[in-house]
Amino acid sequence: MIRVENLTVKYQDVIVLNNVNLEIQEHSWTSIVGPNGAGKTTLLKTMLGMTSYSGSVTFEGREVYKDLSRNVAFVPQRPLIPIGMTVIEYLTLGRAKVDGWGRELRRGRLFIQETLEIMQLVGLQDRFATQLSGGEIQRVLLARAIVQEPKVILLDEPTSALDLHYQIRTLDQIELLKQQGVTVISTMHDITLSNMYSEKIAVMKDGRVLLDGNSDEVVSSAQLREAFDNSISVYTLESGKKIVVASREESGRRDSNPRP
Amino acid sequence: MILKSQKTEFKPIWNVRITLISVLVLVLVVIAAISTGPVSLSTGEIFRTLFGLDGGLEGREKTLLLEIRLPRVVLGALVGAALATSGAVYQTVFRNPLADPYLLGTAAGAGLGATIAITTTNNSFSAALPIFAFIGGASAVAATFLVSGRYFSNPGVLLLSGIAVGAFASAVQIYLQQRNTEVLRPVYSWILGQLTVSDWNNVSWAALYIFFSLLILFRISKLLDGLMLSDEEAFSLGVSPNKIRIIAVVAATLATATAVSVSGLIGFVGIIVPHIIKGITRRVTNRALPTIAITGAAFLVLADLGARSLIAPAELPIGVITAFIGAPFFLFVLRTTKGGLK
Repeated sequence: MIRVENLTVKYQDVIVLNNVNLEIQEHSWTSIVGPNGAGKTTLLKTMLGMTSYSGSVTFEGREVYKDLSRNVAFVPQRPLIPIGMTVIEYLTLGRAKVDGWGRELRRGRLFIQETLEIMQLVGLQDRFATQLSGGEIQRVLLARAIVQEPKVILLDEPTSALDLHYQIRTLDQIELLKQQGVTVISTMHDITLSNMYSEKIAVMKDGRVLLDGNSDEVVSSAQLREAFDNSISVYTLESGKKIVVASREESGRRDSNPRP
Repeated sequence: MILKSQKTEFKPIWNVRITLISVLVLVLVVIAAISTGPVSLSTGEIFRTLFGLDGGLEGREKTLLLEIRLPRVVLGALVGAALATSGAVYQTVFRNPLADPYLLGTAAGAGLGATIAITTTNNSFSAALPIFAFIGGASAVAATFLVSGRYFSNPGVLLLSGIAVGAFASAVQIYLQQRNTEVLRPVYSWILGQLTVSDWNNVSWAALYIFFSLLILFRISKLLDGLMLSDEEAFSLGVSPNKIRIIAVVAATLATATAVSVSGLIGFVGIIVPHIIKGITRRVTNRALPTIAITGAAFLVLADLGARSLIAPAELPIGVITAFIGAPFFLFVLRTTKGGLK
């Protein structure tokens, strides 16, 4: 259980997170949605233990900044892989938490090998990561986090640089992790995809969590539209799936409840 | 996740054989450098003298070996190791393959510090000089960070700040020289870069500072790999990025400042040697730091051999040689490793 209570984060005099409260169950997928500047990435960094805060953020009852031994992986929005680093070098760094820095154990190698296969990166392992396509880099970033064998994985906009095909493939892979017992927390701009994959959605705006709960309920709520200044519309397809689009979109059957 | 695959066929991240090869190269280069000169010394004589065996050198030749050639070679090796390692560390810390100690103002700052030491003590190789050089170098790095302000993590901004700080330090240094014309010669000969005035006193001072800083850098070399990732990824893997950055910059600055204070401004070593090793091995890991240090040592000893042999009995500034052999070899490595730095 991850519990965020009365969390406030300030950068100099600017309040970035304001009295945030959130509960996240283990082995679940929670998406954090909201407009740009809502504080989503800061919330992820605070959960990682990197940011000074007031209030409380606990993993399994322990305050995050006090317990740095926990295994929480972070997948950044933008890759920051140095020039000349091969895919295998980058993935090997991911084993540092489990195997120790600079150690290459047999189990670690097997794990990396298997992750290369699962993430369809075999053949790319000796390529320079900076020479890969956007979709390949995203898979490499995720693979680096997977080889860390984390209990919790924090993903900052994991699909923002991907085409639709790779978005689904990446999210399917994250779903697989969740099924294997990893707790997933992601920020996402695409609310439709958030609703498809996560059990829970938290809606943020101006550093506050306006609403959190069951994904379907959140997507149907008025607070979600408020968070985006009523510039989104929610439609229900024949299959019952809800899609969220910018409000000028006119196709599809508009959900009777809620109305934009 | 269940481990099903049994395939382990990929190259290890670092192969200790590369380090052993670099040690062998250093040994050969050191032997060549000690035995070569106006008076040739045989390898057998050198070994017998060094280990106090019968049949060793006597008289002037013994003095030549122990008091002139050996300290010069040892100092060259120390300076080469310090510059190459610091360059590699700066490249990691600042996430910029073009970063070297000179670009960030460290060397110019150390140069200013050393000039102040020479002008105030009028003794260019006193024990105080490395301290002055270190203070100058550290101040320049601090100033570079201050000038960059909150953009210090942006390599472009940091590089430009370093150039500005370096130019400012150089300007002050030149002003001091012009105001103290009697020190013009020692200051200029120091700036040109040389190992000509090495004696065991300088060597022992340099060794103390350089060994201390390299030891720290080697100890944190594995953690330095974390700095190649985003800060969040590094933190998630148990590395405190800011803490490691500060330790690395302080240690690399100490090594650079010491090297500069005893040998002047020798260029290219800090940027060429790390890239040669990275290009040959196609690996950017900082586990290569000891190998980079050893290769840097061999490179500078070889360059010094060239500096004192090519137009003997006159000497070329060593920086001319490092650029002359370093730049083409660097380009050769770039081409033969299929653009290893792309």
